[in-house]
Amino acid sequence: MKRRFIRTKKTASAWTERLGLLAALLLVLAAAPAAAHGYIVRSIPENRAVLERAPARLQYWFSEGLEPEFSSITVRDQAGNTVADGGVPDDNRALLAARLPTDLPDGAYVAELRVAFASDGHVITETRVFFVGQEVGGVSGAAASDQADALEVIWRALALPAGLLLLGTFALYGSVLLPAWGSSAYRAGGLPPRLMRRLSAVIAAGLAAALAGNILAILQQAMVLFNADIGQVFAQNLWSIVRVGTRFGDLWNARMLLLALAAALYAASLYFRQERPELVRPLWTANAWALALAVGTFSAGSHAAGSLLWPWAGVFVDWIHALAVGLWAGGLGALALALPVALSPYSGDTRRAALLAVLNRFSRLAVVCVALVITTGLYSSLNWIESPADLTGTTFGGALALKLILAGGLLAVGLAHHVALRPERYRRWQAVARRVGGFITTLRLEAALALLVVAAAGLLTATPVPTPDFAPSAPPPSASQTVDGLDISLTITPGGPGVNTYDVLVRQGGKPADDLAVRVQMADPALDRRGVWDTAENAGDGLYVAAGDEINRAGDWWALVDVTRTDGTTARAAYAWAISEAAAVLQSRAPNAFNLLALAGILAALLWAAYPSARRLYARLDLNPATVTIAAGAAAAAVLFIAIGVIVIQNTQAQYEATLYPPPTIINPTLPDADSLARGRALVESACAGWTGRDLETLVERLPRTRDEELFFAVRDGWRGLPPCDAGLSDTQRWDVVNAVRALG
Amino acid sequence: MHLPVILAHGALGVWDEVIFLSVAAIFLIMMGISWIRSRSAPFDETENHETPLYPNEKDRFRLD
Repeated sequence: MKRRFIRTKKTASAWTERLGLLAALLLVLAAAPAAAHGYIVRSIPENRAVLERAPARLQYWFSEGLEPEFSSITVRDQAGNTVADGGVPDDNRALLAARLPTDLPDGAYVAELRVAFASDGHVITETRVFFVGQEVGGVSGAAASDQADALEVIWRALALPAGLLLLGTFALYGSVLLPAWGSSAYRAGGLPPRLMRRLSAVIAAGLAAALAGNILAILQQAMVLFNADIGQVFAQNLWSIVRVGTRFGDLWNARMLLLALAAALYAASLYFRQERPELVRPLWTANAWALALAVGTFSAGSHAAGSLLWPWAGVFVDWIHALAVGLWAGGLGALALALPVALSPYSGDTRRAALLAVLNRFSRLAVVCVALVITTGLYSSLNWIESPADLTGTTFGGALALKLILAGGLLAVGLAHHVALRPERYRRWQAVARRVGGFITTLRLEAALALLVVAAAGLLTATPVPTPDFAPSAPPPSASQTVDGLDISLTITPGGPGVNTYDVLVRQGGKPADDLAVRVQMADPALDRRGVWDTAENAGDGLYVAAGDEINRAGDWWALVDVTRTDGTTARAAYAWAISEAAAVLQSRAPNAFNLLALAGILAALLWAAYPSARRLYARLDLNPATVTIAAGAAAAAVLFIAIGVIVIQNTQAQYEATLYPPPTIINPTLPDADSLARGRALVESACAGWTGRDLETLVERLPRTRDEELFFAVRDGWRGLPPCDAGLSDTQRWDVVNAVRALG
Repeated sequence: MHLPVILAHGALGVWDEVIFLSVAAIFLIMMGISWIRSRSAPFDETENHETPLYPNEKDRFRLD
């Protein structure tokens, strides 16, 4: 019997080793140089665009925020000479931009992007090409690699499983082992010393692996961000810069702090086990919460953080997934390591009773966790896998398929255990299990498979997600006008609703004009609303730059540019264009039916998980009719008041908006360009006698808060001391007068 | 008031930080509660619950 037990242990150990080696081999084979989970959602110009002349700037919007200190863009010409460089502007962390010289000759240009994503520190290098004049053959860009970084895979495969094992061990101790086996006879921890020693060894090993993996993480991140080797990282203290200067470092600090807290609680339990043995149990029980938070730091830097679909929901779903895996797989690993020691004194029916006591409890926990793992895993996968081709044609899909296959095997073994360990079936299945070494061996197989699944999860986390297929973007609105000898070009990028950059390029006599004052205003004629005048800053080479979020909807918009020379004369350029949603930078995506179904599945699994606790709570409730009536009434009243409150707030906001900006009764159809202003000024002189003096000054002072229709009525009917303009004016002429009066402001 | 975005990805602006810190606070509070409760709770849950969660005596074995 003893010989058989020893042989079983060796067999199980060999199995674990082989599976571990297989996992390491798979991970290393799958790993290669660069990784990222963000991607470009909009670029101006588009890759391989052929432009008549060079744009004022290059802009690349990403699906998530970047690390400004470690992200850059370099633009080179065909000969490899650097013609411009840039980085992340202060006002938009998801944008990489470079200002281009205005006199770029015709030819091919290559933009080299080095992008460090803030959420997980992944770095990509990617090149984009554009042509000025005509396309040049033989010049092409390179897309970012979709492979995972080998060192990152290693630290993730080390730190994540270790964290999950720790969480599983502490949770197993508090929610399975103590209720099943605990006894007040054992003052230090409630379990026999041999079992406490084994669990203690598992915790010590887990803490060591988690801390080592985390230290490796900061070194790898510093190597990637600084493109340095390990020697430089240590010699120049680069790891410390990453630790305090990046979001990856912030999450790393939080994780290390929590691991240090867990280690301190564990160390305290060792220190006090003789003098204050009653402290061991609370110290271990409380530690599960610290580990749950530490696992959450992985989710905060996971793929979900960069999702275009509800990133917050994605992060929490990922966290629930990790917690469920930790409780199930981590607990299973700890159980597989603890059982041989715990059951060593027993045999026969006694051994069976001891085993069933703990496995029945763990099995119930595992079933709930499996439900959560499946539903949350489904939701997370649907974030990135939109078609079967994504599963078969991308590295991410391959990593996901590997994880699913391993998880399928794990589920099959887990299901067999769940079925076999029912008391009425145990004896029959025990005979089957003996052929492969008994239940402890099959539990070890399940634990080893769980380890493989978690390792595959590490690979998946380090692998870039497939880039969605974006609909073709509309080109940014851009137009040129010649006014009073000035060539004035305006480009609005990206040109859709949202925050836009206004690039005004002014040339005089074919040369850049830099000694001018330029201001820009956006107007929505249909709603008779105008933005403020934005002063454009001179960026050199005749380029004046402003930015704003005035364009808040698709439709017809006016853009007005006033260019004032040093002699005080002002030239007006006015542009009318249709703003399209297709030009906007994609900020989010709407959920599809599968996403909603997956979310409903998660909620159902959570409700199922909470059901036993709810049932216990229900049993404690005082359910006499009066209490129930009062509780139901209070709940209904609360819901009613909240609903009424939300409706009232929405109505009030709508009324406030309608009061501030009622729909105009008459719409200005005349673009206030230089010609309209000239006609209007002439009409003010000829047809608006008496439009002078204090009342006109007051009207001009009020222009920023006066709408065009009010000015129109003033021209038609008079305002205060200002008499109506000539009654013979047509409406078109009155609008010219309105435009001219508004230009006085 | 401008709060720096430190921990979160920025989807909700400063609310990211509020949610992150709130979740952390809740977990740390739960940690304290589990500490306090586990100090005096008996090992066998059937001892202290009128309606035990799993009232099956097969789920309990006194390990020696």
